[in-house]
Amino acid sequence: MQRHMAPNERENQDQQKRILVLGVGNILLRDEGIGVKIVEKLKAEYEFSSNVELMDGGTLGLRLLDPISQSDYLIVVDAVQNGQPPGTHYRLPPEELEKRVTFKNSLHQLDLVESLAYSEILGNRPYVVIIGIEPADISPWGMELTETIQAQVPEISSRVLNEIEAAGGKYAAKNRVEAAQ
Amino acid sequence: MGQRVVIDPITRIEGHLRIEVEVTNGKVSNAWSSATLFRGLELILKGRDPRDAYLFTQRACGVCTYVHGLASVRAVDNAAGINIPENARLLRNLLLGVQFLHDHMVHFYHLHALDWVDVLSALKADPKKASDVANHVSTAGNSGINDFKEVQARLKKLVDSGQLGIFANGYWGHPAYKLPPEVNLIATSHYLEALRQQARTARMHAVFGAKNPHLQSLVVGGVTCATDLNADRISEFKYLWKETMDFVTNVYLPDVVAVAGFYKDWAKIGGTTNFLVYGDFPQNEKEPDSFMLPRGAIFKRNLSKIEPVDMAQVEEHVKHSWYEGDQALHPSKGETKPKYEKLDVENRYSWIKAPRYKGEPMEVGPLARVLVAYGKGHEPTKKAVDGLLKKLGVPPEALFSTLGRTAARAIETKIIGDAMEGWIDQLAENIKKGDTKIYQDYQMPAEAMGAGLNDVPRGALGHWVDIKEQKINNFQLVVPSTWNLGPRCAQGKMGPVEEALVGTPVADPKRPVEVLRTVHSFDPCIACAVHMIDPRSNEVYKFRVV
Repeated sequence: MQRHMAPNERENQDQQKRILVLGVGNILLRDEGIGVKIVEKLKAEYEFSSNVELMDGGTLGLRLLDPISQSDYLIVVDAVQNGQPPGTHYRLPPEELEKRVTFKNSLHQLDLVESLAYSEILGNRPYVVIIGIEPADISPWGMELTETIQAQVPEISSRVLNEIEAAGGKYAAKNRVEAAQ
Repeated sequence: MGQRVVIDPITRIEGHLRIEVEVTNGKVSNAWSSATLFRGLELILKGRDPRDAYLFTQRACGVCTYVHGLASVRAVDNAAGINIPENARLLRNLLLGVQFLHDHMVHFYHLHALDWVDVLSALKADPKKASDVANHVSTAGNSGINDFKEVQARLKKLVDSGQLGIFANGYWGHPAYKLPPEVNLIATSHYLEALRQQARTARMHAVFGAKNPHLQSLVVGGVTCATDLNADRISEFKYLWKETMDFVTNVYLPDVVAVAGFYKDWAKIGGTTNFLVYGDFPQNEKEPDSFMLPRGAIFKRNLSKIEPVDMAQVEEHVKHSWYEGDQALHPSKGETKPKYEKLDVENRYSWIKAPRYKGEPMEVGPLARVLVAYGKGHEPTKKAVDGLLKKLGVPPEALFSTLGRTAARAIETKIIGDAMEGWIDQLAENIKKGDTKIYQDYQMPAEAMGAGLNDVPRGALGHWVDIKEQKINNFQLVVPSTWNLGPRCAQGKMGPVEEALVGTPVADPKRPVEVLRTVHSFDPCIACAVHMIDPRSNEVYKFRVV
């Protein structure tokens, strides 16, 4: 695990923005796990500059407050239910999130959005972008993505990479031999 | 026929819970607890390698990750007849201890405190008076006048923005809130402190857990964190532990006492009758004899007679749940055949089965553990409980209540936390002596049954595994909230939370904060953790007052 600096050590480091890519969701519920799967895939296939961290956030809510508060620029990858056809891509900028008070459909009451609200009240809320996709099936139980969503994996991956680049992070494809090890 | 009040969903819990109560003459006269999510984790485990079970079960929930991992590993340990090495036992205990410290702290401040603390009233507080009160109550830091002014400024900014965010769904200004503005301000300030502290406390899991979230250092036969067993990592763990315990001792416990002092009427509300504890924290290979938190059952509140636990007496009823049939079965023979019809409180109304022990509903969790330990004469528990009762000037019967449940959670946090120091030191000692064994080799049996009985923050947790041809043939979980939040059984006996709600005063059926107090005191967790982002809606409560 990378050691995080305490918030008061923030000012002493160089001006590089710390970018955290957080894949969240439950991998046991088919498309609900898309965020985690994308992060795992990117970690396996690419190398990133030192100011970029990719993290499998799984189903944890409040315990993600620590890494969230330690980042300047947060890219969240998650399934987003917005009543559009399955496979629809979303990019939710921070102002979209600020409109929300709570998320009725979140089954995890201390969820990501609450963690963001908490990071704000503690005075270190990062800039947040959510890269989402409308799921086809999140009913229990299954480890595999549906075909509809599986087909969108390359597109979501490249969107996340673009987002990392726009935030000031760098990446390069690992050579295949290394990736296979 | 009284007034019906439905709270759906109950916020500030983990999962999706629907509570329906009937209010007659200002008091709850009947209650129904429904969990409206179907979980069938068993279905995904069938046919897999038993060694992998924990990787799946710990993903079931966003809070109790480690505890499901531990329960699964123990169930398979038990099936294979493994006696794990002492270091593995110490490390598993330490990681479980961290889970308690973290969960209980977060529960009190972030899931429960706002039932008692009126955040908006804190704006009216005099920071100087708050500082005087705070310094009188405890030695916690950040209690100068300027500290409190700063908290007020933050709060005001939030209120002025019109976006209350995390405080959006409170019943602020409700007459059931009894704390003076200064105490509300202190509690709000500690709410923020606890946010910072919990983040650091959670790091302890990463020290010996390889990663956080979702620890990876458990394995059937022991643990795998060999590279972390060095002086640096141990002292890092101990440092975070000490910081956490300072908070528990100087902030959490005094806050519980201070808040309880204003709510003594809640020492008569929200009690149940029977209690069940599997026990946990083994001190050597003798289980359950060596458990620090002892195993036992209490019937009819009789603390002078702690009965041993006979697992053959556990059955799960489905008569009022959305499953086929109405046969009560032992978990090892458990079936999961979902059959949703409609929500009908007179008939079937929950996805949760109703577990019973010797035919009775049993409360599990902090209060049950503290009562069993108290009844068995566990010295640290006795001292802590008697001390608290004396401080508040209430009799032992006060334990059987919503307030007792919340106080018990704080008491056990301190007791478990204190015990952890010994485990850390013992671990360091062993390693210094050259004993670094953390794993016991074994042969996976072709066919076996195993049980992992645990006591975790929310209560008694059982995992049962049935192995055939070295694969999982059947896997059953009976989670703590099943015991606490389950519906009625075939005999029509209420589940613990239903029973606890009867008699609860409700001043205003449209704002049933009193109902939330009792429900939240159980720390409901209906392990599910689908957390989808829904960018449309922010409607939270659906009320139906008929």
